[in-house]
Amino acid sequence: MDFRITINRKKLAQIIANFLTALLTVVRNYFLLIVFPYKTVRKISADNDQYQLIIIFGMIFLYFKFIYYLRGKPYPATLLFLIFVINFLITVSLFYWLSKPANKIRFSSFIFTFSYSLLPTLTWFVASSLLYVLLPPPRTISILGRGFSIFFLAFSLSLLAWKLILVYLSLRFSSRLGIYRILYMMFLYMLWFIPCTIFLYHFKLFRVPFI
Amino acid sequence: MRTINLQLKKKLNEIYVIEPNDLGAQFLNNIYKRINIYFKTAPFIVIVPLSFIIAITVYFIFGYLLIKIVSLLQYGF
Repeated sequence: MDFRITINRKKLAQIIANFLTALLTVVRNYFLLIVFPYKTVRKISADNDQYQLIIIFGMIFLYFKFIYYLRGKPYPATLLFLIFVINFLITVSLFYWLSKPANKIRFSSFIFTFSYSLLPTLTWFVASSLLYVLLPPPRTISILGRGFSIFFLAFSLSLLAWKLILVYLSLRFSSRLGIYRILYMMFLYMLWFIPCTIFLYHFKLFRVPFI
Repeated sequence: MRTINLQLKKKLNEIYVIEPNDLGAQFLNNIYKRINIYFKTAPFIVIVPLSFIIAITVYFIFGYLLIKIVSLLQYGF
């Protein structure tokens, strides 16, 4: 009996150590993706630490829990999270399937790089929801209102550009294809993404798609 | 010496994991390389001023529409 407890404690300590290491890696990678996106995505594409995925998806789940109270409880957070996970898996599988003819590609590489490309999305959504609490809309035409509008649009555009860079690099390092093929894949993805966005908006699941 | 060789080999494998992009014409490759530099390292140095320029331009062109867009975006989370 004592022996079993010792084994479990060791396992638990190992899990905690792995989790904390992964947490530090995620935080470090977040800042490295801001400064060195190219090198960092290249490194992430070769990664296989599943704890990092748990942390990223855990943070997203916490975010959905947080906005559940802000949005007037239209849908349960778990349902929104499940829809997001399905959408994410369809996205990743679609890109993997489209780039499968290319040699030496791994599905896990797509999962890791695309999970990290969710960080700009999460940053924008967290910032928007916090600003919704601090400075609730609608905006006014006063000088402060105009100033904030310019700032918010610039902030949103910056994060969108960061997101696009990370998605492009994710596809580049995971599929190992050229720019034309990547652009073609993105165009094909839009054929799924646009109707999906309209569907999600229509049922008030997501006003801006979380992907 | 052997360790250095192994490290160098590992680094080279990491760098050449993908082939360089070929856009089909030399001048296109040159333009791509010139633009690409800004996005490989510290892209926000370019992105942030560019975003502000775009936002201010949108404000001067569309005026009140910018405020409407932002109000809409703020409900978007």
